[in-house]
Amino acid sequence: MILNKKYFSIYFSLFFVSHSFSQETKVVATDSSKTENLNEVIITATRTIRQLSSLPLPAQIISKKDIERSNSIRLNDILNEQTGLITIPDFGGGEGIQLQGFDSQYTLILIDGVPLVGRSAGTLDISRITVGNIKQIEVVKGASSSLYGSEALGGVINIITETPKYGFNGNTNFRIGAFYTSDLSTTINYKKKKLGVTTFLNRYSSDGYDLNKADDLKTVDPFSNYTFNTKVVYNFSEATQLFASGKYYTQNQDYIASSTLKGESTINEWNSHLKLSHKYSEKWSSYFEFYATKYKAKDYLDDENNSRFSNSYYNQLLIRPEIRATYNPDDKSAFIGGLGFNHETLDRTDFTIQPEFNSPYLYLQYDGNLAEKLNVIIGARFDSHNKYKSQFSPKAAIRYKLNDNLNIKSSVGYGFKAPDFRQLYFDFTNATVGYTVLGYNAVSTAIPELEAQGQIANIIIPVSEFQQELNPENSISINIGFDYKFSSVLKLDLNLFRNNIRDLIDTRIVANKTNGQNVFSYYNVNKVYTQGLEFNTIWKPINQLKISGGYQLLFAKDATAENAFENGDVFARENPSSPSFQLKKEDYFGLFNRSRHMANLKLFYTIPKWDMDTNIRGTYRSKYGLLDSNGNNYLDTYDDFVDGYTIIDFAINKTFYKNYLLSFGVDNLFNFTDSQNISNIAGRIIYGKLNIQF
Amino acid sequence: MKSQIHVNKLKTINKMSKTIKTIQLLAIVALFIGFTSCSSDDDNSAPLLEVASETVSNLHAPQTGGQGQPVSGQFAKFNFETGKTTTSDTDWDIAFRGTSIIVNGGTTLGTTDEPNRTGESAVYIANGTMASVTNVNTSLFTQDSDTGYAIPTGSGNGWYNYAGPPTHLITPIPGKVFVFKTRNGLYAKLEILSYYENAPANPDAFTDATPYYTFNYVYQPNTGVTTF
Repeated sequence: MILNKKYFSIYFSLFFVSHSFSQETKVVATDSSKTENLNEVIITATRTIRQLSSLPLPAQIISKKDIERSNSIRLNDILNEQTGLITIPDFGGGEGIQLQGFDSQYTLILIDGVPLVGRSAGTLDISRITVGNIKQIEVVKGASSSLYGSEALGGVINIITETPKYGFNGNTNFRIGAFYTSDLSTTINYKKKKLGVTTFLNRYSSDGYDLNKADDLKTVDPFSNYTFNTKVVYNFSEATQLFASGKYYTQNQDYIASSTLKGESTINEWNSHLKLSHKYSEKWSSYFEFYATKYKAKDYLDDENNSRFSNSYYNQLLIRPEIRATYNPDDKSAFIGGLGFNHETLDRTDFTIQPEFNSPYLYLQYDGNLAEKLNVIIGARFDSHNKYKSQFSPKAAIRYKLNDNLNIKSSVGYGFKAPDFRQLYFDFTNATVGYTVLGYNAVSTAIPELEAQGQIANIIIPVSEFQQELNPENSISINIGFDYKFSSVLKLDLNLFRNNIRDLIDTRIVANKTNGQNVFSYYNVNKVYTQGLEFNTIWKPINQLKISGGYQLLFAKDATAENAFENGDVFARENPSSPSFQLKKEDYFGLFNRSRHMANLKLFYTIPKWDMDTNIRGTYRSKYGLLDSNGNNYLDTYDDFVDGYTIIDFAINKTFYKNYLLSFGVDNLFNFTDSQNISNIAGRIIYGKLNIQF
Repeated sequence: MKSQIHVNKLKTINKMSKTIKTIQLLAIVALFIGFTSCSSDDDNSAPLLEVASETVSNLHAPQTGGQGQPVSGQFAKFNFETGKTTTSDTDWDIAFRGTSIIVNGGTTLGTTDEPNRTGESAVYIANGTMASVTNVNTSLFTQDSDTGYAIPTGSGNGWYNYAGPPTHLITPIPGKVFVFKTRNGLYAKLEILSYYENAPANPDAFTDATPYYTFNYVYQPNTGVTTF
């Protein structure tokens, strides 16, 4: 990692060079746009339009401008550059987001306020989402189940897409880069009087890449995908509005499992979203929302004789009607309440049954300024469920304005994640190795069956222990922070977080099989916590220059493991053939795949005279462990770690004749790769982009 | 098989056992003084034998079969008293074959070439290091039986972890010390260091030969003494 340190210092020297350069040009500084952040509004935090700067919750907005200037194409590109967010590749090839130390399955991903589904192995692959039609991305940290129900333990990421704008116009955007990766987006927009329509089309394809040339397999196989999205807005009157959105996503990818097993995988996803809103008076509004989404994935493998080796499919359906109302008794307070119903089904290979989840829910929230300087949010939600324990999720947040420059904010919330279909109904036996994984509810029927077939050598956990319902994983999250404005050009905010997670669902061995393998199932076990601090700062020394930096310190630990270390029950060896020694409490590193430190530094510079802008962005991730390499089942400081690394991206954009924007950039400037451990970093990507407005 | 065994007297006995030995020595001295001062008639109590830490390198314990096939092959038997391997049918305490370790106590599991148990050997697995395991807890001992060995087989169950692909390494679980009762009712503690020939610091399952056990042990040659 010496090399990476070197790159980091090069990056910083570049940073200071450009900084001193910018100070020289300070003469032309004017005062415009310094207040832009004050006007930013966020809807994810409260489900009402809310000024970001006065919110008592840790939240963040990623603007269209920053996405465009960074020339991002998929959601993972841009989220990876945000403080405390990192995308983690999973074994299925998807990339999920880690937030405040939570795995990707504990962060809810929404598009225009409604959730995406299709977490076949828990991860929601965010590289599925194009950023071509995004207006802004909103990130709310801390448990938010009080508004959104299941999955919102770590937080919520809401992707707000473009709505029709006045006139008839459009744009097209084409980017091509390394690995024959091309991305084409076109938007056509129409709005006159009562009717607005916007249509978006995206095609994204790549030849994939291969980090390890020694084997027959590619790291990422070639793929192509399409996203179609049409939105219609119709204003019946000033007070009544209809919104309809239809989205279709399809992806086709080669699926090469070995030199003899080849096939294809496809994903098809539909989302339809309908919303009718009506304003009764200055105080009362109501919304009727209907959302349906279907996610279908399937793949197959053929052997060398072209006969079918394996076939699998995953079809998930979610239907959600919801009504909600807002009431604003005065300009100081707002109430929102909602009532809805989730209907979810899943049909997939290796399932005992075709399960159906039904879950009505109800929520209510108050957001008000109790005093001039004091803002309070109190909310709660109740989710009833046909397959697991009902959940009550409260949340409270408070913000106090100490003076014009300093605000203190704090929030406490409860979050939960319902056991997913897989954890309840899986019935899977690995064809080549022979182990079996059973969902919690599948154990009581599948074990006797295996026993009758003579496959069970001995039972370790009696079937009777699976009579009780599996508990939803849940957490209590606490965030305390402040934001401070040094001046109109320099701001910082700091947030301390702590998440106490209970009833985490893990796998354990239920029985030994006669073939020497084991039967695994799920159970509630661990007490885990994540805690740390997050720090963000924005500095605009002159109008043309924006420098932002962020840092996250993270401790993500299993309390049971911590006890084991404290009690002296954990041992290690210097190398596999040397005597054991006892580990101390401070030798426990924490959960796998969590870095203690993550940081980013971004510099955006505009040269209005030349219609140009340029930026350089760096992200750093400190060392982390992927597995226990010294045989004690825990990640300790004597294990093998993945070295920390820094990635530097560079982009330059120039506008010609007002409507043409030409871009050039290099992602991962110093060609960092780690073929052994990091499958989602492809190496240096040089690209060009053309954007035409019409 | 006999020639492949080398027992090295360890000159560097770790601090802990040194201290313990000092304590023991003091105790013996005190006892001795006590006895002499009492000037008892039967003044014939023999001084306690020295407890030493030993290392055994490259104890070869091959097996045939395995991986779904019936297992066979002679066990490599080890005698704590002599510190050597033996082919004797009776004068052995523990024996090795592949990744299996058996004790000379209890009943046979009935695999091909498995020796009959003739002694009172037993074992339990203590969590700790060679230095920290200093007392024998006699209530924990178990013997081999017709349903399974006292030291369970399989990755993560007994003495080793099997890494699986891609390294396929078999490495001893850290912090597992085996406390044995010998066939004669004496005690020994043992820690396995390696399954690979010459105990390389970074073994390679594809190039380093197995099964060659390297282990440290401490034998308590004095009857009735349950400390090391």
